[in-house]
Amino acid sequence: MAKLWAIIKREYLERVRSKWFLIATFFGPLFFSAIIIVPAWLASRSKATSDIYNTTILDATGNGFGRRLALNIAGDTTNPSRIPHVAVVAPSELTSAESTATRDVMQKKRTGYIVVNQQTLAGEAARYAGRNATSIADMAQLKSAIRQTILAQRLEKVGLDDAQMKAITFIPLEFSTERITERGRAGSGMASVLFGFAIGFLLYMSIVIYGQTIMSGVLEEKTTRVAEVVMSSVPTDTLLAGKVIGVGAVGLTQQIIWIGTTYVLLKLREPIMAKFGAPTVSFSLPDISLAAGVLFLLFFLLGFIFYSSLYAAVGSSVNSESEARQAATPLLVMIVSTGVFIQPVLLNPTGRTAQVLSLVPISSPIIMPIRMAVTGVPPLELAASLGFLAIGCVAALWLASRIYRVGLLMYGKRPTMKEMARWISYSR
Amino acid sequence: MTEYAIDIVNVTKRYAEHTAVRDLTLRVPRGSVYGLLGPNGAGKTTTIRMILNIIAPDSGAIHIFGRPSNDPKITERLGYLPEERGLYRKMQVRRVLKFLAELKGVRGSEAERRIDEWLVRLSLKTPEKDWGLAKIDELSRGMQQKVQFIGTLLHDPDLVILDEPFSGLDPINAQALKDTVVELKKRGKTVIFSTHLMDNAERLCDSVCIIARGEKVLDGTVTEVKEEHGQRNVALALEGDGMQGIATILRDHSLVKRADDSNRFFEIEMVPGADPQALLRRIIESGASVQRFEMIQPSLHQIFLQKVGAQGIEEGMTGHG
Repeated sequence: MAKLWAIIKREYLERVRSKWFLIATFFGPLFFSAIIIVPAWLASRSKATSDIYNTTILDATGNGFGRRLALNIAGDTTNPSRIPHVAVVAPSELTSAESTATRDVMQKKRTGYIVVNQQTLAGEAARYAGRNATSIADMAQLKSAIRQTILAQRLEKVGLDDAQMKAITFIPLEFSTERITERGRAGSGMASVLFGFAIGFLLYMSIVIYGQTIMSGVLEEKTTRVAEVVMSSVPTDTLLAGKVIGVGAVGLTQQIIWIGTTYVLLKLREPIMAKFGAPTVSFSLPDISLAAGVLFLLFFLLGFIFYSSLYAAVGSSVNSESEARQAATPLLVMIVSTGVFIQPVLLNPTGRTAQVLSLVPISSPIIMPIRMAVTGVPPLELAASLGFLAIGCVAALWLASRIYRVGLLMYGKRPTMKEMARWISYSR
Repeated sequence: MTEYAIDIVNVTKRYAEHTAVRDLTLRVPRGSVYGLLGPNGAGKTTTIRMILNIIAPDSGAIHIFGRPSNDPKITERLGYLPEERGLYRKMQVRRVLKFLAELKGVRGSEAERRIDEWLVRLSLKTPEKDWGLAKIDELSRGMQQKVQFIGTLLHDPDLVILDEPFSGLDPINAQALKDTVVELKKRGKTVIFSTHLMDNAERLCDSVCIIARGEKVLDGTVTEVKEEHGQRNVALALEGDGMQGIATILRDHSLVKRADDSNRFFEIEMVPGADPQALLRRIIESGASVQRFEMIQPSLHQIFLQKVGAQGIEEGMTGHG
């Protein structure tokens, strides 16, 4: 027991102390928060940006239209920084004024400039030139401000006073949009789909990364012959168990840090996004119960044991990193083909495919947590999935331990599948 | 309390394609330095792995200090240095040693104390520099060998097993290893090492066992082995020219049974009953300048060649160290 502990301790501490672990643990939450926050932030881009405030209005109307327009663009007239700069010019000087304004834009002093003239007063035309000319939201905002200003001037001519004018022209319309696809409203449950994707991706990456970590660890012990020294002190099964537990604990540590930090980051997303100047977008985080959280970790652990023991077997049977990569291909295919199904399962979490994949041990550690994130899974299915996965783990461990103890002592050429099958039948 | 450190009786280990060890019986006396000699592929490593309980024999029995080799308590009395050596490259020296100590049941401050002692002793820790705090891959090859050596001896094992310990050692570490073997013996420890370097074996070992193709060829104390195979041999050393004439004489099978030619030095096994003086006369007549002509016991190397034959050489024997 003390020796098992020594092995676990070494595996755990050496990996947790590594730079790679620190970096991955630190950037993980940023990455996962970004997966969730960036779409929300992109959505917020459909509103006009502050770019429209930093413009010049070249007013060739001669009746103060520019000043009015500036106030309309600003909206909030108490904040002087939001009021665009207004340059009143005579129609004859407009060309030279435009070239000055263009230079300002090129030198990034301004985002762009608006030209208003008699045609504008007639409600016929206005021009804009600037860096953000492709921003649909910005242009729409400017256009509506110009229309509103024209409308205000016309109303004034009719003889309405300021208060009446404001009452008529003020239309604080909030226009929300929602996409409808063949499966119905795409907007509904968007957050939980994102969450499901994040969980699936996390499990997928962890299993690949930690599986390969174990594989190269085993390979290092084999090629340096440390394995022989260790095997002369402890039974091979203890060595294998120590590695799987030690590296598994590293993975668990990382997952807990990741999930915890991501949770906190998402909780604090509004102040963070406000810092970046992005308007906050309200969307609710899916409610994850403690029981579901524990189940996620359980699936991670079992999935990890299943794959890492097979990776250990591969690592023990080869003699170099390049051989290992080749020999691990079947495992990678198993995991990647599961990854391919993440999206279909997200879209149809209760379908036949999703059900079958969440029962097969090869794919269940990734697919079942995704289903749990996006939909309710009947307890019976959950129990069956866990049961099969546990059986799969026992089988994988049995197989791996038999290949492992022979493979570690075999040097030279890479074994064929037939030879490996024979190893399984060897006594010790 | 049995008198044997290792007692191997009728052990056989088969693999699918071949039999690695066949019906091997071997006894290593307590407190002795024992050489396991044989060409590559002879079954030395398999034998060592069975002694260490890394693999189990198909039949036969192995006892270490009178207990079955799979007794978990036994492993803590064994120290093992594998043939090709390496350590966890990215790990700190002290941590590697601590880990190896823990695997052998030495823990905590006791382990720390011994690590310090050994690091100082093999000058890996000096007032200027403590290599114990460096990572393995920052160490030179020679220093890594020292670290591995410390790892083998840290738990003060009663039986030390060294697989080809001299391969890849620089002369200074090789000397340090020889000194340590002698010192271990003085302290009553048993040392068993496998080698194909006969010179080292001859100088260090009390007893030897030669195995080839999985079978024991001979064993016994070095003195016994030499006496048993003790046709008198002739050691001949020449100076200067006159080598051509010698070649003809050495091919004369009425006098010479076999000769090991090392260019200027020859170890000659006489045909039984042949007169060494006749050989000396022939050599002088050929005009060669004789520097040394001496009746000697055969070297282990000679016995090895005689017993294992040319096939052994083909299979990886490199002869004199």
